[in-house]
Amino acid sequence: MPRQLSTSPSETGSDAMNAVTIPRPQDLNGLDDESFRAVVRRFLAENYPPELRNPPKRLHWSENKVWYHKLAEKGWLCPGWPQEYGGLGLSPGKLIILTEEYERHGVARTNDHGIIMLGPLVIKYGTEAQKQRFLPKILTGEHIWCQGYSEPNSGSDLASLRTEAVLDGDHYVVNGQKTWTTLASDANWIFLLVRTDKQAKKQEGISFLLVDMKTPGITVKPIINLEMHDEFCETFFDNVRVPRENLVGQPNKGWDMAKALLSFERIFLGSPRQSAYALARLKQLAETMGVAEEPAFRDRYAQLRLDLDDLKALYGRFVEVLKQGRSLGPDVSMLKVFQSELFQRITDTMLEIAGENAGLLEPIGGNLNLNPTGQYIQARPTSIYGGTNEIQRNIIAKNVLELPG
Amino acid sequence: MSEAAEDDRAESIRMIRDSAAAVAPRGGDSKRVRALRFTDPGYDPAVLRQMGEMGWIGLRLPEAAGGAGLGMGEMCALAEELGAGLAPEPLIPAALSAALLGYADDQAALTPLLAGEALTLTAWQERADSLVTPGTPDAKRIFVPMAGGATQFLLPLREGTRMALHLLPAAGADLTIERTQDGGTYGTLRPDLSRATRIADDVGGVIGRVLDEAALATAAYLLGTMEAAFALTLQYLRTRQQFGRIIGTFQSLQHRAADLKIQLSLTRAGVEGAAAAFDAGATGDAARAVVSRAKARAAEASLRVTRECIQLHGGIGYTDEYDAGLYLRKAMVLANQYGSAALHRRRFLETAPEDEE
Ligand SMILES: Cc1cc2nc3c(=O)[nH]c(=O)nc-3n(C[C@H](O)[C@H](O)[C@H](O)COP(=O)(O)OP(=O)(O)OC[C@H]3O[C@@H](n4cnc5c(N)ncnc54)[C@H](O)[C@@H]3O)c2cc1C
Repeated sequence: MPRQLSTSPSETGSDAMNAVTIPRPQDLNGLDDESFRAVVRRFLAENYPPELRNPPKRLHWSENKVWYHKLAEKGWLCPGWPQEYGGLGLSPGKLIILTEEYERHGVARTNDHGIIMLGPLVIKYGTEAQKQRFLPKILTGEHIWCQGYSEPNSGSDLASLRTEAVLDGDHYVVNGQKTWTTLASDANWIFLLVRTDKQAKKQEGISFLLVDMKTPGITVKPIINLEMHDEFCETFFDNVRVPRENLVGQPNKGWDMAKALLSFERIFLGSPRQSAYALARLKQLAETMGVAEEPAFRDRYAQLRLDLDDLKALYGRFVEVLKQGRSLGPDVSMLKVFQSELFQRITDTMLEIAGENAGLLEPIGGNLNLNPTGQYIQARPTSIYGGTNEIQRNIIAKNVLELPG
Repeated sequence: MSEAAEDDRAESIRMIRDSAAAVAPRGGDSKRVRALRFTDPGYDPAVLRQMGEMGWIGLRLPEAAGGAGLGMGEMCALAEELGAGLAPEPLIPAALSAALLGYADDQAALTPLLAGEALTLTAWQERADSLVTPGTPDAKRIFVPMAGGATQFLLPLREGTRMALHLLPAAGADLTIERTQDGGTYGTLRPDLSRATRIADDVGGVIGRVLDEAALATAAYLLGTMEAAFALTLQYLRTRQQFGRIIGTFQSLQHRAADLKIQLSLTRAGVEGAAAAFDAGATGDAARAVVSRAKARAAEASLRVTRECIQLHGGIGYTDEYDAGLYLRKAMVLANQYGSAALHRRRFLETAPEDEE
């Protein structure tokens, strides 16, 4: 796995590429890993809009929907879903290969909360009627989802959330506020963790609710982030009436369902690709600044390269676990901590060598590959979202090392 | 220094701090700072005039030259207060030009600059991350801070073994402006020498010293910025609750705050020590070494403190609305201005006296 990660694009000559034919979606999972990787590369070369490679900011729906619809048209939109629901039915190992190739090609994220979070949850816990109702609309792009978990006073301590849903006849009445809701302004549906039992222990009074964002009483306010981008939002709920059948799973069992989804997320947050991309940009910057051959820089760079290769090796071990069909333990938190902090150290080094360019608002000379300040700022939230690094370290200390306390 | 003289000194520094706080309240007036971001010229000319009236632009100039005749101790105290309030006005670059014009004894150009009515900026830099002034006649001059507000430029020009000083009006100059993270600007100037007037034969002997004072004042400004970012962080650690506890009770966060406090104290010791050395008459390598030690520390520590400020705030730290980001962006701009940490570390080794042990 690590070896393949470092394969440079030039190793896939165009001849080899042309020899690859793309099988029907339902046959993809049957390929051996090497053929599958070659197919994904060919698929991206043929279908991915070149102007969307490595965007400097998270794209909005208006910008990424071309790609979303292209994936939908080719039947590739939901690689992790079983084939009976319109997915590719890829094994975890194949899914990792696909993700690696997407990352390597610089494929932008779409508004993918429905694909990677809600869909799998409905497939696992939803009723037949919920599956019939929601899954096809994700596949067509009719429903664009966002994730409403965090609240102003419930971030790391998510289980303390207070947005409440009270049953009133056939409806839940939702009141409260969610925040940091990524791309809520693009979405027309939101999945919520809501409090349905105030008496129970905090994890045991939470339910999972699907809400049409056109329902009266919902207000979405975009928040400008440090990239000066309106990527996340505050979402307010004022007596929002949600049909009872929109609750997924058992009432008060939402916490366990949501948690079950998170461990798979963590391996993606630990993917070495972000750091690998940044390290290549650091090298370009060092050349531009004329410090690439200086011993001080070379030592720093060597250290970061070693860190990256070690990260790839560790990542490869977790991938092996998935490939063998086993599930990941709490130790996967190590990946997220090390990758996000490596990414940050790489961008710290960018600033240090950039001279006065470290203060520019835009990329140097308009070249997106020379964007030390943009990358420095983008690296900041990687140690905050998906569970802060402090929380990840707590998990390692408590659940991996089983230290007392 | 006698005890009485020391008391006078402390009093003079305290007075400077108090008057600075009236113009740029510590961590208080981010509304003003925000309103000026990404505008032209990126600062408030009226506030620059006010700074002139307070005597700050000529703070270091002898009284005979129209200045206040104060020391680096006062200059650093002032810069620190301005840094804590994130004042965008280009006081440090203006003071740099005032020093050169004072040396050149050009009262016509100096008087409006000291009054804060005109902004004279020195276009000395030809390479990124450098503190040397080659004075190449036809070279473009880069990273001129707040260049959009300049009324004229000072150009050091190499003439044989001498470094002459020329004055170039900003109106009609070939100037390109780029925006900076803190909402200010950097200018690139392609000087047309036929429009410039020569005002001094040789500033070669003073320009290095003047740049060093700017570097030290920038370190002091960063000290103020990181103090303010740290205060904001502590306030958050004292009030934010998660898991039914104030997050400042988590020992892992307490240790992080303690580490930042150590960095702040080291920076303060370096900056104030360097200023005291200047005021005690340090020159040459001894002066350069203390400036480099202070600026190297301030550059690194300010980036670290402002990064941690974001992290310890969680999601809210990543919003533009919250002030944590203002401190982060200011540190990004100033950390490498008048020399990066790497440049100053190198220069420190070249200039510091051998360790005696
Ligand atoms: C870019 C971005 C996108 C996001 N997208 C979404 C989204 O789409 N949907 C959604 O629901 N949420 C989203 N989030 C929210 C994210 O999950 C939270 O920011 C995160 O869980 C942290 O919560 P908080 O911001 O409230 O910080 P807090 O929990 O208040 O943390 C503040 C500080 O205290 C520390 N801390 C807290 N508890 C402990 C402890 N026990 N021990 C040691 N340190 C501790 C934290 O690590 C942090 O440094 C997003 C966040 C970001 C930055």
